[in-house]
Amino acid sequence: MWSLDQPYLLRAEPLLARTPLALLVVLAVGAGASAGLVGLQVAPPLVLQIAGVTAGHGVLLVTALAWSGVRSSSSVVAVVLLALAATAAAVVPLGAGAYLLPALWVLWLAARGQLAALGLGTPLPPQGMVAGTLVGAGLSTHLLLSASRTLGVQTRIDHAPEVLAAIAYDLGANVLTAECFFRGALFQRSQRRWSFAAAVAVATVAYVARYVVDPLLPKTVEQVIGAVFYLALLGVINCWLRWRYESLVPGLVSALVFFAAYRTLGAG
Amino acid sequence: MSLVAAALVAVTVLVALEGAGPAALCRHLYLVPVIVAALRFGVAGGALAAAAAVLLSAPFVLPEIERAGLTTEAVEGLVTFGVVVLVGVLSGVLRARAGRHRRRYELLVTIQRALAEEAPVDVALGRLRAALASRLRVDALAIVGRDGERLVVAGGDRVAEGSLAARVLESGEAIFVGDTGGDGRARRAFATPLMSGGHAVGVLAVERRGEISLAERATLEAVGAHVGIALENARLVSRQRRFADELSQRVAEARRELEELDRAKSAFVAIASHELRTPLTALQGFSEILAVRRLPPEEVARLASVMRREARRLGRIVSDLLDLSRIERGLEPALCRIPVRIDAVIQATAEIFRQGSATHLITTECEPALPIVDADPDALERVLTNLISNAIKYSPTGSTVCVGARAAAGGVAIEVADAGRGIPAELLSRVFEPYYRVPDAAAAARGTGIGLAVVKALVEAHGGTVHVESAPALGTRVIVVLPPAASLTPRAARV
Repeated sequence: MWSLDQPYLLRAEPLLARTPLALLVVLAVGAGASAGLVGLQVAPPLVLQIAGVTAGHGVLLVTALAWSGVRSSSSVVAVVLLALAATAAAVVPLGAGAYLLPALWVLWLAARGQLAALGLGTPLPPQGMVAGTLVGAGLSTHLLLSASRTLGVQTRIDHAPEVLAAIAYDLGANVLTAECFFRGALFQRSQRRWSFAAAVAVATVAYVARYVVDPLLPKTVEQVIGAVFYLALLGVINCWLRWRYESLVPGLVSALVFFAAYRTLGAG
Repeated sequence: MSLVAAALVAVTVLVALEGAGPAALCRHLYLVPVIVAALRFGVAGGALAAAAAVLLSAPFVLPEIERAGLTTEAVEGLVTFGVVVLVGVLSGVLRARAGRHRRRYELLVTIQRALAEEAPVDVALGRLRAALASRLRVDALAIVGRDGERLVVAGGDRVAEGSLAARVLESGEAIFVGDTGGDGRARRAFATPLMSGGHAVGVLAVERRGEISLAERATLEAVGAHVGIALENARLVSRQRRFADELSQRVAEARRELEELDRAKSAFVAIASHELRTPLTALQGFSEILAVRRLPPEEVARLASVMRREARRLGRIVSDLLDLSRIERGLEPALCRIPVRIDAVIQATAEIFRQGSATHLITTECEPALPIVDADPDALERVLTNLISNAIKYSPTGSTVCVGARAAAGGVAIEVADAGRGIPAELLSRVFEPYYRVPDAAAAARGTGIGLAVVKALVEAHGGTVHVESAPALGTRVIVVLPPAASLTPRAARV
């Protein structure tokens, strides 16, 4: 028993320990430079879109990977794959399929046992998968119902390629990076320092803030309020799923189901 | 929970069927499943059910606000949201609080039951740990208790130096550790002292993968205080029982000793009567002969010599009895101390025995220029008489009794050695006890069993020591060491 056998030391790892500052700076500089070039009309707006997606999601993913002890080279590979996927999605109509590349890379790292700290590559609890699916389905149903009743937004199926592209984006970038960082890394690290409730609050506030400042999110008041409502719910529930089942996968499933439903609204 | 979910859906259906929008009367029915969930599952259940009720009723309220703004009906709907959430959370909080009190009470009852029976500390701790483990839903639980100088651990092998338990035991303060290491869910640890009389008499340590809430920690601290007192009581009861057993054992031993002493005294009375009667009979008989008959001078002299020897013997016995009486009253023998030359006393005493005993060869060996001792000559003579008399009594006829003196540690050591059967080593410590006689000695010779006790008392009254060395079948040597007289020369001493 730890309390009897092990030395008791009041030494906690700092919350931001092992943050890959160099990589973050490179990503920020890249995004800033792209914005500058586009602003000067030296580069087309496409470049800024690619750099923004790469930097925005890359920051979350490389931080999560670094906090879980993955080598820098693996993080660089993840960023490169994100950049490739963003480029392909921007250039080629079916290029969004390239977002599977970063997802596969993360899967490969998880299979090698390097992402256990994030809750990936650990045994998959069947109840957790069911719970994640039910949570995603429940929130999706409510979203679709309330959106159609309050905002008059209807589910459309006449833009399937765009929906599929958005789902691929969610799978390889949006959901993957957000869950890896906010639940896999930030919540996990917070709950070691503070209580469960405090850790949920920290991770959820950061999660909601990430979407509120996202330039791709529609900025009407109704949509921002709706986003905050659903993302906060999703964030809290995914924290609980991560904590309860000690795996990131149930949360990934619930978020993917929810975002898939969101994409069918056509606003995506 | 599924029943609550079904009830919430049913209420929603009723609200939809009523068709009155946000102000539908059926909306108040949401309170029923919310309260049930709160009472069944606590705060989380109440809050979740309330949130579900709000989510389900939102499609009836929000479109009204979208369409017509904050109408009276819309406000009623919003107020219902608030009431449902408030009732759900409050009911949950009250239920949780009541549950905590109940658990704490049950825990205390469990502790009392576990410690109700008297048992050694390690057994009591084991019972207590088993009882607490079944009540507290923790992954690991250990109880450490002090038992005198040692630590008894239930739920572990030892308390490592510098560990959490050791720290709590040392400081007497509860400590919470948010994370003990490892992947996955944080493993929390909490250790609280078992307090009694303001001191930590042990530690209660629990570990769990997950939360150990503030309320649980407060409960554990209360349990720690309670267990500490109960444990201390159990320890005191155990110690009292041990003391009682020990006392009972000592009383039994003392009783045995008293019975033995009583038997010895009875035997002593019989022996002493006989010892007194023998010389008295001789004196009486010889004196009657001298009184009624006319005897030749040689015969008169012989009879007088016998009478003198018996009178001396009688006097010695009476002196011993008087000294023993003083010893038993806790008094020292009365002494009249003057500077004495030991060698002269030894020679004189030995000579008396040589004249009286033809059965043993009595030799003396004294170092020249022995230190003068400050002693009562009569007492010294009685010491020597007792020792030589014993040596003669318990050694075979024809053997030699050696009496000697030498300088030792500034004083004089007197030794009386015989070639008798010796005394078993385990009985040597008892030979100076009054009335005690070595079992074999009773058959070998007559004696009162007070001689050596008197010797010891007389020697110690002089500030000296006496001890016996003996080897079975080889003989016995009694060594008396007397301190020197201060500032005295051999010339000033009495011969």
